[in-house]
Amino acid sequence: MSRTRLWLFSAIAIAILSTAVLLLFYSKNTQSLARAQDTNNDFSRKNIVGGHTPGYSILETSGDVLDPVSLNVTIKDAVVDPMKYLREFNYGKVSKLPNGTTLREFTLVASDDKVKEISPGVFYNVWMYNGTVPGPTIRATEGDLVRINLINNGSKSHTIHTHGIHKAEMDGVFETVGPGGRFTYEFTAEPFGVFPYHCHMQPLEEHIVHGLYGVYIVDPKTPRPPADEMVMVMNGYDTDFDTENNFYTVNGIPYYYMHHPIQIGKNQLVRIYLVNMLEFDPINNFHLHANLYQLYRSGTSLVPHEYTDMVTMSQGERGILEFNYKFPGQYMFHAHKTEFAEKGWMGLFLVKDTTPTTGGPAYNSTTTANNMTANVVSQSQPVSQKRGGEI
Amino acid sequence: MRSKGQREKEERIEENIDDDNKEQEVHKNRSHSKRLVIVAAIIPFIVLAVMIFLLFSPTLQSFINSGIPLPEIAIEKIEFRENPSQIIAFIRNAGPTEITIAQADVNDRIHAAAIEPGKTLSRLSDAKVIIPFFWNPAEPYEVGITTDDGTRFSKTIEAAALAPNPDSQQIIFFAVIGVYVGIIPVMIGLLWYPFIRSMSRNKYNFFLSLTAGLLVFLGIDALIESNDIAADNVSSIFNGQVLIFIVTTISFIALLYTSERLTQRAIKKSMSSAAETTSPYTSYSNSSDINSPRIKLQATQLQMQELVKPLAISLMIAIGIGLHNFGEGLAIGAAVLLGEIALSTFLIVGFTLHNTTEGLAIVAPLAKSRKLMLRRLVLMGVIAGAPTIAGAWIGGFLYSPIATIIFLSIGAGAIFQVVYSIGSWVLRPTNDNGKKSRIVSVNKFTIAGFAIGMVIMYVTGLLV
Repeated sequence: MSRTRLWLFSAIAIAILSTAVLLLFYSKNTQSLARAQDTNNDFSRKNIVGGHTPGYSILETSGDVLDPVSLNVTIKDAVVDPMKYLREFNYGKVSKLPNGTTLREFTLVASDDKVKEISPGVFYNVWMYNGTVPGPTIRATEGDLVRINLINNGSKSHTIHTHGIHKAEMDGVFETVGPGGRFTYEFTAEPFGVFPYHCHMQPLEEHIVHGLYGVYIVDPKTPRPPADEMVMVMNGYDTDFDTENNFYTVNGIPYYYMHHPIQIGKNQLVRIYLVNMLEFDPINNFHLHANLYQLYRSGTSLVPHEYTDMVTMSQGERGILEFNYKFPGQYMFHAHKTEFAEKGWMGLFLVKDTTPTTGGPAYNSTTTANNMTANVVSQSQPVSQKRGGEI
Repeated sequence: MRSKGQREKEERIEENIDDDNKEQEVHKNRSHSKRLVIVAAIIPFIVLAVMIFLLFSPTLQSFINSGIPLPEIAIEKIEFRENPSQIIAFIRNAGPTEITIAQADVNDRIHAAAIEPGKTLSRLSDAKVIIPFFWNPAEPYEVGITTDDGTRFSKTIEAAALAPNPDSQQIIFFAVIGVYVGIIPVMIGLLWYPFIRSMSRNKYNFFLSLTAGLLVFLGIDALIESNDIAADNVSSIFNGQVLIFIVTTISFIALLYTSERLTQRAIKKSMSSAAETTSPYTSYSNSSDINSPRIKLQATQLQMQELVKPLAISLMIAIGIGLHNFGEGLAIGAAVLLGEIALSTFLIVGFTLHNTTEGLAIVAPLAKSRKLMLRRLVLMGVIAGAPTIAGAWIGGFLYSPIATIIFLSIGAGAIFQVVYSIGSWVLRPTNDNGKKSRIVSVNKFTIAGFAIGMVIMYVTGLLV
């Protein structure tokens, strides 16, 4: 091979290589340049904040934002409306029996074919009572006759197993209700307390983790003092079926109360009926910030068991929490198993300075709950900016 | 396309059938058959198109698509940035259908993130997920991406390290690394030229075999390296491992052809002045036939080979090693980027020692050729060493696993081609004074050289 050809060959090779390298750099730099100009000129660009942790700079992006933590995303086909669920207590169709006993009749329709949004952008096949996870909260007074009609609209057999005292055949374990089937559970509400109800079909784990559970409250004959009452169900979703939860929530949607803080009044007694239905993980807990609560384990006593800011529960455990805030502001509540907190189980109380109009019953009506939701939504924007450093 | 012979054959058959027809009709038939050929070529395509159309029709779709398409997200690269502190994941939809990304997490904890260009990824398209996150250097991080059906995909980085930024300082940094790892060692290796030049044939063959040994090691190394990358960083949809095999084979064959052509052309050119042109493709086996009348001509040809072939081999070695070093540069750059290695003096020393042997590989075949110009030698050193710099730039700034395995595979193919050339050169028939030809068989020198070559590479490789 001649020397000229060698030179030529090498020169061409080097030229091609260097041009390629230069082009790659050039294209990359111009891209980022163009992007920088875009973000300067276009005011429609979205901002995102780095989670709830303070100190993260605001990141501007030309793309989409993935932020279930702090972004108020409208969920179109949500598994539940957590704000509505929070203060919605169902007392059933009330009638008096000849002997003077109050009869409360409820209807629960089980389904197992719906795919719902359980977190912004995440769709999961949920099994539901009356179309929500958790199912509706059933409430009666001690001594009432409770009648629950189960209609199984699903493709699998389902039951309702209610905790509490009742006859064996009303336990919802052996009397399976097949697809299209019906069953009526009837029992006296006793004792007073807070209980879970859930499907008891096997595999139990499958039926529970898909969402067939809810809360059943039995009030004592002498009512508890009036309060702003709410129900909270701690749960999780294993969306990739690896027997580990991908999401942890309170009342069905991760982080919901982070961008929709729960409004409460200063010095107003708050009562939470708390139930843990979390599958797979052995424990779950509830931690309240900047405050302590009276804990009535299982709600079966009128005397509190503990004055604390931390309660740990295994699956099926529950209790009543009572507290009030002395100072206005935003307060976090979350699982103090930080993994659960950072996968969705966290929320905020927004304590308002205004004296609450009423306690208890007023908040039990659905309309009030809806008004509250509207209020919270409109205020969530400035609120989220003030947030920071609560954990 | 049919060959001319085939066409003529057909025409002949047609002529036999229509024996009585006039020539005009034969002419007509010819154009007719030409049209038939085109139609015959097109028909399968039409059938195929109809078939595909039917497959996409709703009826057949419902029949075929009985299974549920599972999403597949490949996290190809994770970068750690500062000011602002961020983790950036480069993801690709490797599944059969369009995917929407729902959220990102770091160490299995959900974090706010941005996704560019958008959260919906069509098949095979990629996106950049930017997660504002205060990361700590040298700590392991797992980045997870969850799709809209709740499936989570994750990738772990062993030790977080700041991603190199293509600023002038980093460019110079990688260039310096490239010079140290690529050019300098190769040049050092070239210094052995006078030493190799002054040795006997057996020793010379020993060093050639040594070179082959060194190169075989490099080739295997490149294949294993690209296999690792294919397994870890390339989504299964690209069939990374198959790609390695294909690219290596193509590279080998293409370079074999190129080098043979280059050599033959050079021989032919230099021969034309010496003697009448004979076929340059005369095989070596003919040369053992002493009684052949063409022996004298072949003797001249062999002499020319002695002159030209070593240079061609050396150039091919230089190119092969250059490709290999390009891959090595990519690996170094990418390793810095991926935080897999910390560039230390020790590492650079290791690479330097390791690559010095590459210079030896280039210089060994040239030992017996006369009139070697220094400039040519230096040029070959640059061809072999300089790609390290380009590799380090590309690997460090624009790491792409698929490009890396392609370059490594090309390098492997080139190296095996060079090993083949050296092998056939060592085992070539020698021609002493144009009178006697003998074939050097595998002897203790060549075997020892080959083995020692690989061992040297293995030992110096331990330093890296």
